[in-house]
Amino acid sequence: MKKIYTLLLTLLTLPAVAQTTTAATQLEGGFKLGPAIILITILSIFVLVGILFRAKDTTDFYAAGRGISKVGSGMAIASNWMSAASFLGMAAIMYGSGYHGLAFVVGWTGGYVLLLILMAGQIRKYGKYTAADFIGDRYYSQGMRAVGAIIAILISISYCVGQFKGIGDMFKWILGLDFNYAVIIGGGVVLLYTLISGMLGVTKNMQIQYVIIIVSFMIPLFILTAKFDYFWLLPQIGYGSVVSDAVSGVSLEQAGALANSLGHAYATVPVPEYAMPWDPATGKSFFQWIAIAFSLMIGTAGLPHVIQRFYVVPKARDARWSVVWGLFFISLLYWSAPVYSAFGKILSASPEVGKLSKDAIVVYTAQLGNINPLITGFLAAGGVSAAFSTVSGLLVAGASAFSHDLYVKVFRPDAAPKSQLLMARIGTILMAIIVTSIALLKLGLIAQLVAVAFSLAGCTIFPLFLLGIWWSDSNKAGAISGLVTGLLVSIVAITYFVADVKGISLPAMDFITYWLGGWYFAWIGAPLAILVHIVVSKFTKETPLEIRKFLIEKVHS
Amino acid sequence: MSESSNGYHISFFKPTTPQALANRNLTIWLVLIWAVAIFGFHFLMRAIEKPTPEPAYVAFQGAWTNIEAGTAGTTDYQEFGQSMLSVLGKAVSPDHRKGLGEAMSWSVYMLTEDSLKADLIKKIKDFEALKGNVDNIADKDYIAAKQALSGELSPVLNLSFMDIRSQLLPIELTSANIEGLSDLVKTHLPGIMAKYLIHNQSVLTDTIFLGFPFHYFYTAVFLLILFVGLCWLYCVRIDKINAKFNIID
Repeated sequence: MKKIYTLLLTLLTLPAVAQTTTAATQLEGGFKLGPAIILITILSIFVLVGILFRAKDTTDFYAAGRGISKVGSGMAIASNWMSAASFLGMAAIMYGSGYHGLAFVVGWTGGYVLLLILMAGQIRKYGKYTAADFIGDRYYSQGMRAVGAIIAILISISYCVGQFKGIGDMFKWILGLDFNYAVIIGGGVVLLYTLISGMLGVTKNMQIQYVIIIVSFMIPLFILTAKFDYFWLLPQIGYGSVVSDAVSGVSLEQAGALANSLGHAYATVPVPEYAMPWDPATGKSFFQWIAIAFSLMIGTAGLPHVIQRFYVVPKARDARWSVVWGLFFISLLYWSAPVYSAFGKILSASPEVGKLSKDAIVVYTAQLGNINPLITGFLAAGGVSAAFSTVSGLLVAGASAFSHDLYVKVFRPDAAPKSQLLMARIGTILMAIIVTSIALLKLGLIAQLVAVAFSLAGCTIFPLFLLGIWWSDSNKAGAISGLVTGLLVSIVAITYFVADVKGISLPAMDFITYWLGGWYFAWIGAPLAILVHIVVSKFTKETPLEIRKFLIEKVHS
Repeated sequence: MSESSNGYHISFFKPTTPQALANRNLTIWLVLIWAVAIFGFHFLMRAIEKPTPEPAYVAFQGAWTNIEAGTAGTTDYQEFGQSMLSVLGKAVSPDHRKGLGEAMSWSVYMLTEDSLKADLIKKIKDFEALKGNVDNIADKDYIAAKQALSGELSPVLNLSFMDIRSQLLPIELTSANIEGLSDLVKTHLPGIMAKYLIHNQSVLTDTIFLGFPFHYFYTAVFLLILFVGLCWLYCVRIDKINAKFNIID
């Protein structure tokens, strides 16, 4: 078995060995034919599936006809969730900041426990299409519905910006294009695909995308662990020794003949800062670790496009079980992402490798590890697929908020289904243009950009859902007050975040950028919003009887 | 979660039916396990950790004390240079890399006989020029020059050829400020070394489990298993609770 595997490994790596003289800069540039063909093929499959399963009416467009099974929905949740931030960004943040990056792993998985036990089933029982629908109905206010829709759009835009950065990075790597052109082309393709397919096509596609994402992500791991003499049967455990090797260092003697594709020995001085918690070398603190993990977790439970996925299953029980499946499928990738960062750390240890773009470290690690270029290309295409699956879901969520919650529910209640669909498509195009424009500003790493969306969701949507579901005394006045509080914290934090990135000085800059960091301001924003919401609700007119009745009879029975 | 006497008021913390009570208790238990597993563990790690220096930092401190006092000998300069290389092999900021490279090169200079110092500077400058002109690090001339410099200068710093730092030595050598440490480097060097060579460690980080440092395994692997397990447990239990109380979705 081992012999066959070694032979297979040798055959797979032959073309890569021929490229060992490639200089560090060549890791980044140049048009790559094989990966480009793989990418085009995969995208064509997505579009074809989108056409085959395209939305025929608004129910299809918004909620996939509510006919998706719990395992299928779990797969779609995972695909929807496993974005460029998971596929590329997590390894990037661990590669750059070591253990600090694990706050993102914990935050982006632990939140599902909260989502499940506090919300999933109840959200499905409430029976709405979108997050804004829930907010508008539960807080009996068209104004709240409109604000909810606008926030959902803002969250989707913020989330998409990180994804477009990932799409740009991968298109740049594969096509050898300038980043700006890569973002524009990639954005155009994902927009076209979303417009053609809508949610039903998206949901079917998400299941295919999940398979492509996970397979493309896993194959290089087996090769890397086998090639560098680690336990390859289960790379997600085998890489533990890679982490320990990074901590203790690998001597030239231990490295033997093992080398990266640039010819540097598989050796490193000890780099304990890679694994030790809140290490001074990373510039990250204990507080930041906790704040990020907490913010991402409550943000998970407040993301409109995640919540919206519970509307596509037939029953509340299916919504609950789809979370279990979804989290399991997600975890398969999250157990694997640190493998890339650990190998990347050692394989790029030589200063001669130069500074690599962190957001593309997954692909560079495969290249440095001498993985066959076609497999590396498949990996890059998987990264694009991850970004596509999420972006399409986000664009649909944003378009739903624009068309369903704003246009139909607030401005044109008598709008025909055809014009609703048209507005959804216009909303999608507008969002794609806005996101592309912001992505071109290069405001941060993928994971950081996406984390902003999580904190925004944690400060605004999460308190409204949590209290709206579990406390009948939560009323309109409380909701408005809590929402304003959460929004104020968000505006301050995001303003300082952008000012910091752009080098603009504002009062108390250091204090605010540390305690209200752009990707973890929900640690304080969410509890404050909840507190204000509760206090104001206590002292204002109680929730109408019909809503209290609905909560008991439909949501909690 | 149930109708109260004054009509249709629900609160998570005040369940009024057995089903609501069971649901609340299950939720509280799971949230508690979840919170303790994530935050409890990390607060514990924070509580018991101790700043732990790498051997290179200890060597640096001893050498630096003697260098500052003007009593440094060959071993001090060697340990000083080695410790610089221990940091230069890490991912450091460009500013720090520049200062560390200068300090390391200075230690080599100080260990070189006076009559050979001019020759040393010439060799370093020649290599710098070659490095600047090379487009591809696989260039044969470049590799040969690098290996020659490493072979010649590694013994000066008492580095064996199997020590990875001997490979870093030629890459990081610089002729800038080689004849004396700048005030800027002198001022910031102890801080830079502490930043990269002192780590927060404890029994949780030093214990190896399945090849991992234990804390790393716990966070990167175990917590995710726990999350899936908690979700599974919740679904199973809630299905049972619903069945028991005839709740139909």
